[in-house]
Amino acid sequence: MKCTEVNRLLNPYIDGELDLQNVLAVEAHLQECPRCNAAIAGIQTMRTAISRACEPAKAPLRLREAVQAQFAGTAAPRQATSLSLGVCLAAAPGIAALLIVGWLALAQPWNAQSNAGTAQGTRIVYHLAGGNHVKANLRTLKNHLDAEPNLQVVVVAHSDGINFLLQGAKDTEGQPYIGALRELRARGVEFRVCTNTLTRQQIDTRAVVPEAVLVPSGIAEISRLQKREGYTYLRL
Amino acid sequence: MHDDWERERFERLMLPHLDAAYSLARWLAKNDGLAEDAVQEAYLRAWRFFGSLRGDDARPWLLRIVRNACYELRQREHLPGPAEDFDEQRHDAEMLAAGAVITLPVNPEAAVIARAESDLVRQCLGALPRDYHEVLVLREIEGCSYKEIADIVGTPIGTVMSRLSRARRLLQGLIAERVRPRETGT
Repeated sequence: MKCTEVNRLLNPYIDGELDLQNVLAVEAHLQECPRCNAAIAGIQTMRTAISRACEPAKAPLRLREAVQAQFAGTAAPRQATSLSLGVCLAAAPGIAALLIVGWLALAQPWNAQSNAGTAQGTRIVYHLAGGNHVKANLRTLKNHLDAEPNLQVVVVAHSDGINFLLQGAKDTEGQPYIGALRELRARGVEFRVCTNTLTRQQIDTRAVVPEAVLVPSGIAEISRLQKREGYTYLRL
Repeated sequence: MHDDWERERFERLMLPHLDAAYSLARWLAKNDGLAEDAVQEAYLRAWRFFGSLRGDDARPWLLRIVRNACYELRQREHLPGPAEDFDEQRHDAEMLAAGAVITLPVNPEAAVIARAESDLVRQCLGALPRDYHEVLVLREIEGCSYKEIADIVGTPIGTVMSRLSRARRLLQGLIAERVRPRETGT
């Protein structure tokens, strides 16, 4: 076997991905080729450097809790929910998959194991991560409140989902969001903005409308509301 | 339709890979907060599409979803850099043009790389173009086989092999390039 051929096989050889016949051929070549031995030494040195520098990370406890909370009580719905999600599903097929999960979570009040919030009105945390279809999302919220006046709603926004909560934000037709926001606030809806997103996007906290409050991490807040305060999760 | 049994199976197959999911997400999203968001999104999607998982080979299946979630989130956050689409052919041409660097005799490189500090290794790994960066992270940090990498990245095994080989050469070149000037004080 020639050096050029062996060179092509060195990486799979080192990674233990070569079949026996080729392993034997490479090893026969290595017996007598200092250049290819040096190439192997180079790759191995780098692998050692990587494993020394890059230990696999462990998931933080808050993430573990948040992921587990997503699936707590998401058993199959016993009956269809009355909430109209058609607007969102039609408008944003990309997030339809996530909405289904939210829909499953929404079915929780009908499950025997769920008792959170039913006496004082259902508690819903809406998770808003995208900047599209905000108008439709706000309309969904309003419809939801119309259907269940006792509903307690917290909207947690992060990523592009925060944009409509910034001062002077307007919809695609140039209409300011602030009117709809104030109306929803007056009906008890709370808006919480992820400070991590603001930091990442280098947005000053003063740019957030006073109708919304800041929380350190949107995801952690969603997890906390579900776990500690019995909120049901719904994705917008 | 998911039921309790399905959820129990999901938790049994998916939750043990949470550390691997987060570890990969940190490398691909290049931001701890974004990595957490990506992992959460990935688990939601995994739950939604759990029915499409064949067999019990959950890890690569989940990591593929994590990978895609990371790139989508970076795009959503308008973050530049290696998460952008990578033109492999153009880059290959550039690599050939840079052949003088990457085909240097390997022996001196090995000695140079052995002296590289961990920070520098991490920086150089993070600076690789996306297609090379991800195969190297999956192989060296997540310990995936070629077959698993092929499943996660969505390419044939032959492509994984050639990308990995190029990725290693490229990383060797990058590290050597940055170690030498420091040592010579230039």
